[in-house]
Amino acid sequence: MYLTILKKDLKRKKTMNIVLLMFMILAVMFVASGLNNVVAVMNGTDYYLDKAEIGDYVVITMGDNSTGYADDILDKADCVKSYKLEGCIFGSQDNVTKADGTSLETKNTSLFHSISDVKLKLFDESNQPVTEVKRGEVKIAGKCMENNGLKIGDFIRIKLGDTELELKIAGKVKDAFMGSDFMGNTRFLLNQADYNTFLSDETIFAHYRGEVVYIETDDTAAVKAVISDIPALAFDGARTTLEMCYVMEMIAAFIILVLSVCLIIVSFVVLRFSINFTISEEYREIGVMKAIGIKNHKIRGLYIVKYLLMATVSGIIGFFASIPFGNMLIMSVSENMVLGNNAGFLINLLSAVGTAIIILLFAYSCTSKVKKLTPIDAIRSGQTGERFTRKSFLRLEKTNAKPAFFMALNDILSAPKRFMTVIVSFFICMLFVLMLVNTVATMKSPNLITTFGTESDLYITDVDGAMELMNVSDKNGVADEMNKLADKITDESMPCDVSVDIQYKYRVVTSENEFSITCAQSVNIPVGKYDYFEGTAPQSRNEIAITPQISEMMNIKIGDTVTIDFGTEKTECIVTAYFQTMNQLGELIRLHDDAPTNMSYVSAIRQYQVDFTDDPSETEIESRKEKIKELLGIEDVMNATEYCIDCVSVVPTMEAVQYLLLAITITVVILVTVLVERSFISDEYSQIALLKAIGFRNSEIIKWHSLRFGIVAFSASVLAAAASIPMTKLCITPIFGMMGATKIEFHIDPLQIFLIYPAIIFAVTIISAFLTSLCTKKIKSSDTANIE
Amino acid sequence: MNILEVNDLCKTYIVNKRQNNVLKNVNFSIAEGEMVAVMGPSGSGKSTLLYAVSGMDTVTAGEVSFCGKNIAKMKEMELADLRLDEMGFIFQQMYMLKNLTVLDNIILPACQSKKNNETRKETVARGEALMRKLGIIEIADNDINEVSGGQLQRACICRSMINNPKMLFADEPTGALNRTSSDEVMEELAKLNADGTTIMLVTHDVKVAARCTKVLYIVDGNIKGEYNLSRYESASQMRERERALNNWLMEMGW
Repeated sequence: MYLTILKKDLKRKKTMNIVLLMFMILAVMFVASGLNNVVAVMNGTDYYLDKAEIGDYVVITMGDNSTGYADDILDKADCVKSYKLEGCIFGSQDNVTKADGTSLETKNTSLFHSISDVKLKLFDESNQPVTEVKRGEVKIAGKCMENNGLKIGDFIRIKLGDTELELKIAGKVKDAFMGSDFMGNTRFLLNQADYNTFLSDETIFAHYRGEVVYIETDDTAAVKAVISDIPALAFDGARTTLEMCYVMEMIAAFIILVLSVCLIIVSFVVLRFSINFTISEEYREIGVMKAIGIKNHKIRGLYIVKYLLMATVSGIIGFFASIPFGNMLIMSVSENMVLGNNAGFLINLLSAVGTAIIILLFAYSCTSKVKKLTPIDAIRSGQTGERFTRKSFLRLEKTNAKPAFFMALNDILSAPKRFMTVIVSFFICMLFVLMLVNTVATMKSPNLITTFGTESDLYITDVDGAMELMNVSDKNGVADEMNKLADKITDESMPCDVSVDIQYKYRVVTSENEFSITCAQSVNIPVGKYDYFEGTAPQSRNEIAITPQISEMMNIKIGDTVTIDFGTEKTECIVTAYFQTMNQLGELIRLHDDAPTNMSYVSAIRQYQVDFTDDPSETEIESRKEKIKELLGIEDVMNATEYCIDCVSVVPTMEAVQYLLLAITITVVILVTVLVERSFISDEYSQIALLKAIGFRNSEIIKWHSLRFGIVAFSASVLAAAASIPMTKLCITPIFGMMGATKIEFHIDPLQIFLIYPAIIFAVTIISAFLTSLCTKKIKSSDTANIE
Repeated sequence: MNILEVNDLCKTYIVNKRQNNVLKNVNFSIAEGEMVAVMGPSGSGKSTLLYAVSGMDTVTAGEVSFCGKNIAKMKEMELADLRLDEMGFIFQQMYMLKNLTVLDNIILPACQSKKNNETRKETVARGEALMRKLGIIEIADNDINEVSGGQLQRACICRSMINNPKMLFADEPTGALNRTSSDEVMEELAKLNADGTTIMLVTHDVKVAARCTKVLYIVDGNIKGEYNLSRYESASQMRERERALNNWLMEMGW
């Protein structure tokens, strides 16, 4: 008998059953893909760095005296368990061009390796280890290919010294060390023979070789002290620092994670609504069954059989759909990383089975309503007469509103619970999109400029110039170069000052420990010009400012002293202020202008900062930017906003996630709107027929139904927009804090969060509701005769 | 003058590829001010006829002229306007919108009508006057699940009258009511008819039909007979009218 009733039910209530089945499939798909991604993200960088066998500490040496020293020092160090060393040639973006001769943007220093000598495990796009590069070919790590519009099969030219080779691009490589947006270096993997060809160039062999060392240790602090003896040290960082380099990828991944959790919540909320809804739709059948003496558990069993069948079908379909959907979700962050788990699709499978069970439990709990329904429900339209509740909220008699708008608003206010599913779903999805919009807007605004340095009119990235400056004998030499550059620009009727921030690697000793720390000192920018959020700027050569990260790492605070080994002298310095910076992920000490720095300890020279002295307008600055590009033959001349975007190099990733989120939100909005509207039409069949019978046109019915969703979408959007401002501050501030910026003034673009995005959601909702409600045209006024 | 003229009306349904001729060349007319009952056995096509002549359902063939306009040729939108402004409907089940009060349900068609130039206040006053007339003003602010079936059906009559229709169509208006409520509702319909509203109703109840001025008897989709009665004036005539109508119905095979 069960099967007969079931067959009839599936046939007779085809639309509602299809709607319910779709909700179930979505729930399974969201949960299975979401949980798989949650596990992948939670494993996160640890999984990736372990898979790449990167070790606990990484060191790069570059330039003269950079080879043959590290292994001697590391061999003698007790704290080093083991290490892997790979040779390389370093260069800049000028060393690499496309086949047509146009330059290739590789941002920071480029490293050229022989694939045979690479000790780090590198992965291709399908996460398989890269072990081979054929002669005449090159494989490129990081985002260099997409940033330069290169694809597999294209040719690039690499010119190192006097040797030039044209190589065919054979693939993109995921590089755990260099591949992050923060490291921003590009690794070119060559065949050993091609690599040797370059090494045979005398200049390259003598001056442009370097080493990358991956160290296994249990005591990174000790290693930090040991490696400060290695000459030509260009970079050193513990595994935690490398993990931090992926912070933005991980933020994006965690956004996906939270989104997955949201989708799970949304799908369960919607699922519960639809199961409840379909059961309340069937009060008449339940009443009749009770009237003829069928017991509660038998009636419940009937529904359970139906939902078991639907849960099984949705479990199978949802499982298979979850695999491509999950990949799509995580794609934007897995381009650069190997994210995953060792369980494969088992998590998807378990999630699908789990969700199917939860659906059944939901169905079982919802069928408890069966107990409350009585035979009288079959006769009295679900009202037993015992508990009359007021339904109308507004009064048409007291407003001048048009009936369609009035009915739409009154429906929502009279039965808010019925619309809560839609409001909650829209609100959650919108809130995430808007939080991300606020974050990206902040990253693209000049608000972050003081976390990278001082605000200037223009910033010039000159990698080659900076490398040459590193060979200048002293800081005054750098000042001379800056003044010459300023004169050159001033001669073109653009009066200006040019300054630069220089970073040095110094051994810093506290009473407890010693560290190799990056210290910054500017040329032509007084130390007092930087922002300090506590204390006073260093006033003399033995005063320094530190970041909260340094304070925590070295266990020092304002008033404490540290000893900095400047090479020429050891100076006891007192901490006078705290400042925030996103340079070196916050691990930076700012020195006084007179501190005895020495160019042989330089680790990086940052962008040249141009400050015009004639106070030009923004338009004029833009025009001068182009002139300076031509004048210096440098493409990377940026205004403050562009500089911020360049520094926070993850803006494109974040934007990609933002658009992905928006796309998913739109998909959820469409699905929820279509499915809930179909449910409503089915529920309100009699009312629609009645309205048509008394003379309402189709257009008025469609307007009534579309407006309801419009009002709901508008309310959810306004709520989400308002909540997004405090929520962004609450949730995103700690993330910027991880990168070194503890006090951020968020850039809120009211046009985007209060107009553009709500308008998109509103428009999508209205269009979806409108298109779905078109099927009310099929309901005829004469259907009033068929209302049960 | 005839308000409704039906010529050779046919209505055919196709069910499982089988043609079912529900109405076969039906011809009749209703003059202004008449109150016409359609009677007949179950499945004879009474309701189908009502829905076809009121423009709620399409016709397969024939002509339905309402106030001189052939509604069989009208588009859906024109029919909707016609139903809103020129016709009123009462159904067996007291269909009303769940989220509106009784008064709001009554004034809803007036608020929707483009021909209605009244202010909302004036419309409300008219709705209340109608409710007062039908003796249900005390339930104006009630929800529809707070009132009895008889009150609700009278509210449905108020709704059908709010746009001052030229003709009322009622499909078994007392079918879901007890005898007392049924009498009250028919009393109100008779009063409306006496005030000049043309009414066409479908019923199984001789008592209801006895209040009409004409009874059409339909069998297998054909009008088999037509019985004319004098205008109903007082309850004292009822027994005689019912007896006469019963006799005629017996002749028709009732």
